[in-house]
Amino acid sequence: MNGAISVKNLKKSFNNNEVFQDFNVSVDPGKITAIFGPNGCGKSTLLNILSGIVEKDGGEFNIENFDRFNFSYIFQNYRESLLPWRTNFENVALPLEIRNKSKQKIEQKVKELQKIIGVKFEWDGYPYELSGGQQQMLAFTRALIATPKFLFIDEPFSALDYENNLHLRTQLQKYYLAFKPTILLVTHNIEEAVHLAEKIVVLSQKPAKVLEIIDNPLPYPRTLQSLKTEQFNKVKDKVLSVFQKTINL
Amino acid sequence: MKKYSIIGPILLILIWAIASWLQLVDKFFLPGPFTTIKKLAELLGSGIIIGDLLSTLERVVLSFVIAIIIGLPLGLWLGRSEKIYRSVEFIIDFFRSTPATALFPLFLLVFGITDKSKIAVAAFASMLIIIFNTAYGVMHAKKARILAAQIMGATKSQIFRWILFWESLPQTFIGLRSAISLSLVIIVVTEMFIGTTSGLGRRIIDAQITYEIPSMYAIILLTGIVGYLFNLLFIAVEKRFLHWSGK
Repeated sequence: MNGAISVKNLKKSFNNNEVFQDFNVSVDPGKITAIFGPNGCGKSTLLNILSGIVEKDGGEFNIENFDRFNFSYIFQNYRESLLPWRTNFENVALPLEIRNKSKQKIEQKVKELQKIIGVKFEWDGYPYELSGGQQQMLAFTRALIATPKFLFIDEPFSALDYENNLHLRTQLQKYYLAFKPTILLVTHNIEEAVHLAEKIVVLSQKPAKVLEIIDNPLPYPRTLQSLKTEQFNKVKDKVLSVFQKTINL
Repeated sequence: MKKYSIIGPILLILIWAIASWLQLVDKFFLPGPFTTIKKLAELLGSGIIIGDLLSTLERVVLSFVIAIIIGLPLGLWLGRSEKIYRSVEFIIDFFRSTPATALFPLFLLVFGITDKSKIAVAAFASMLIIIFNTAYGVMHAKKARILAAQIMGATKSQIFRWILFWESLPQTFIGLRSAISLSLVIIVVTEMFIGTTSGLGRRIIDAQITYEIPSMYAIILLTGIVGYLFNLLFIAVEKRFLHWSGK
């Protein structure tokens, strides 16, 4: 299975607080998979363990054909990681500079990506001149510039207003349809999950377990119109029913 | 905002003029501002003080450059590892808190009664300030930026060159500004000691000994102006190159 992520018997606890105890999950290659679950159930921890930021306590995981140059991780408040002394262009170019690409190659890459996801920036300007939404978009573009095969996204839209949020979802889909990466999307927003993902993994309270993996057959690209369809609401209801079992209201 | 910055100097001269006019202090010990400014113009116009001014400037700039050459790389290196910095923190803070001029006799013993000892003691004190500020700049770099670069696969050296160095710059500049002021202070004070025939400090002492009080105040005023101009220079450089600071 090329590009698949599999997690087996994963164990992790913070100060005797068990987040994962024999946690198992498998993610299909070339698909958008959303991880949805109650607050503090370990969604972000899962991404942090998979990307090597946080050590696991036990168990194992495997990401097929993974190396540090074919993956991107967009975390919450990702825009804070923009470098204010670099122009917008130089910020987007950073991942390619790290890979020692020539200036010519970088410019070509930026043009290509710009064409695909359709974003425009004042390239000679600086990030601090942009609005919060645009900054997140810039950071997003930077994460995609090296065309990663694996994309881990942790609540990328949570700090955005609804319009920018929809805008970013559209860009992400364009990238996805062009390159078919394996995308793991952590979110606490049902609409986001159903809008973007082909599979929605619903987690329980900690120690987290997979309650159910829900298929979402809505065709891509999913537009605003897709959000109003019966099929969309059906999937959303299903996710909600599974989610309901794990929360106390 | 700029027009408000003129209020400070006007206020200072006004208070000085009133104090002098009301003869709150004996006129012999505190001449009025206009007498002093006139005296300063005279000293500058006749060129008598220019050689001393240049001597002092040369010593200040030299000590400052030495402080940068040693302090900047050292601060960057120490800041990279909090453990290393903490292990030498005592030494830096101890000497930073010790009046540098108190160490001057020691420098005189090592470097002799020459310009070298003045420059060395000023460079030493300024260097500590530069090390301290630069290291703190590096240590307080935004974690999100470093993490993002690590995830992108950046090497330690890339993170240092592209992130930590830049992150440290605003704090480094605060250090540089304090350092050049301190250099000026120490150079002028050490010029008042032995082994100098030129320099603003020397002239201040000479004027005091010979009771040329207006000259003494004129040169003190000149020293203040020099310090202030250094400050302005740094603010201008900072505005130009660190436009992104704090954003």
